[in-house]
Amino acid sequence: MKVTRRLGIMAAALTGLALPAAAQQPALVRVGVIQGLSGPPAIVDFGESYLQGIRLALKDHEARNPRTRIELVVYDDEANPQRAVSLAQRLVQNDNVSAVIGTVSSGNVLAFAPILQRARIPLLAGPSIATDITTRFINERPSFIFRCSMVEQFQIEAMLDWGVQNFQRIGLLHSTTGYGSFAAREIQEGLRRRNVNLVATEAAAPGVNDLTAQMIRMRDAGAQLVLNFHESFELLYRPLPRINYRPVVAGNWGLSSMKVLEIVGREALEGTVMGQALDLADPKARAFDERMRAEYGAAYRWPVVGALGYDAGQVLFRAIERVGRADAVAIRDALESLDGVEAISATPARPFSPTDHECLDREHVFLGVWRNGQVVRLEQR
Amino acid sequence: MGLTNFLQLLVSGLAMGAIYTLTAKGLFIAHVTTHRVNFGQGDFLMVAAFLTLAGLGAGLPVLAVIPMVVVALGLMGWGLERIAVRPLDRPGAARFGAAHAWILTTAGVALILQNVVELIWGKSSQYAPPLFSDRRDNVITLGGVGFFVEELLVMAAACIAVGVFYWFLLRSRWGKDVYTVAFNPEAAALLGIDVRRTVVMVWVLAALLAAVSGILVGPLVTVHPHMGLIFTIKALAVASLGGFANPLGILAGGVLFGVAEAFSNYWDSAYGDLYPLLFVLLMLVLRPAGIFGEKTADVR
Repeated sequence: MKVTRRLGIMAAALTGLALPAAAQQPALVRVGVIQGLSGPPAIVDFGESYLQGIRLALKDHEARNPRTRIELVVYDDEANPQRAVSLAQRLVQNDNVSAVIGTVSSGNVLAFAPILQRARIPLLAGPSIATDITTRFINERPSFIFRCSMVEQFQIEAMLDWGVQNFQRIGLLHSTTGYGSFAAREIQEGLRRRNVNLVATEAAAPGVNDLTAQMIRMRDAGAQLVLNFHESFELLYRPLPRINYRPVVAGNWGLSSMKVLEIVGREALEGTVMGQALDLADPKARAFDERMRAEYGAAYRWPVVGALGYDAGQVLFRAIERVGRADAVAIRDALESLDGVEAISATPARPFSPTDHECLDREHVFLGVWRNGQVVRLEQR
Repeated sequence: MGLTNFLQLLVSGLAMGAIYTLTAKGLFIAHVTTHRVNFGQGDFLMVAAFLTLAGLGAGLPVLAVIPMVVVALGLMGWGLERIAVRPLDRPGAARFGAAHAWILTTAGVALILQNVVELIWGKSSQYAPPLFSDRRDNVITLGGVGFFVEELLVMAAACIAVGVFYWFLLRSRWGKDVYTVAFNPEAAALLGIDVRRTVVMVWVLAALLAAVSGILVGPLVTVHPHMGLIFTIKALAVASLGGFANPLGILAGGVLFGVAEAFSNYWDSAYGDLYPLLFVLLMLVLRPAGIFGEKTADVR
């Protein structure tokens, strides 16, 4: 009996000693990440690059000795909407995440965003770019859907303003996927508002290997500027030397990938214009670029997508750190009021507000151009 | 449409058609002998394209890379027969539902190949350098029509393959062995033909055809680990169109399909890839055995 009592006292004393130590442990907050990490190469390039940025942001977060320990739960949606939805449900029901980041395909985001909105778990969408991802939910009060990525409409508007000013004959090449058809519609509507007609509109299925036919039509229509909104960004360039045609190409921010440079080549890519949100002339962006190169080596291939992944990560991790616990609603509120962010991309210091859940607004998106193997800001007259 | 555009589209269609022909030939030779096809034929092509770009990337001369890739693919063809096909021929295996298991095993090998390539080269697209030039825009122009050297080579390779196949199958002793094994393996064995060796050679030959097309196709398309599937599907369409039993039919099917693809994309790019497939379906309704298929029942 005595022994039992003594053991009880000792156990109580040990528990008492252990409590302050446990209290010093950083609170664990789980963050779900859904990305396209397999499937079509363009999807994988986007997904892996964005995830590289998130992981670097987490490394920086941990280096600051935070009061919260963040654990990433990473899933691959394989660019498949059904899989993306089931992964979102798994993150909510099994993994008990307090926030989610993802994914590449806008259709996938729009498929699982309502689940997270209902579950009251903040979603930081990216690198998906469909225009209406956050605006669909902004009137929910409160909306749990945020985004740190390019917005399709902003890059298209910037491109059309520049294109109409500088070219008389504009052609469009788009893919027959949901993304390509959506972009084509936005371009056609944007040009109609500017009283300009496309001289040629050509399409191509996602798995095609040769665009000779489409580019012959583009050349014969006299297109001086070809807007390229096909996911296989490099395809358009291959037939050009064969048909003796050298238009200016402009398109999706995907054209800024180092993979496109590697496949197409510096000479053919020279002068290609695309939507951008990262200016590598900025010393902060250049330092980030060098860090990413050191961190990921040859696997690093997309500065702007990596930068937006980093900013998505740092914005979310700062909001979590401010809350200090796994409280999804409080994290959402913290995201909305966060200020003083030192972003790598063009994301402003206060990324969000109750009426704006986009990291990038119209004024932050600019046009980049390939010059001597580097994407630089396009100087406009 | 002007004559130059017509010829340019024709060249473009012939080049793609030649790639489909070479891939379909691999399906044809395996099917004619064993009544089986390699559902990973396009993935063998993909591996050849990756091995070629790796060899060239390592600074090896083209003339060293080509035999290396050919040997590697030959070994893969042997391995495919040994691992994914032969075990299904065990006595009594058919009773346990293995009669069509080769569909699963060859497709399984294709998936393994995709994953191995992803592990080595990553999931992205890769740059495949031209074989005979340092420049990416090395174009030969004839009468206003531009060609890449590889396009001419792939067309030549398809024609040579058809000629060699004709000679082998109809004139050589080995070809007669193939047809005898196809007709009746037991009778072939009684006649002194080494059935197993003939079957192995057929799978090796199919892999060698994938090697040739893989080496030549790299600079003409975007190389990535999942590029093989589309070539397998189109090769199946080509073989169905031309007739699974006739090497000349495979060439005709490949050329027809490639050219139809180029012209349909010119007339209506939104559905350019759909029309050739509809054309194949229509032809199969009219001639189920393909354009060059045998009208009489297959008695094998």
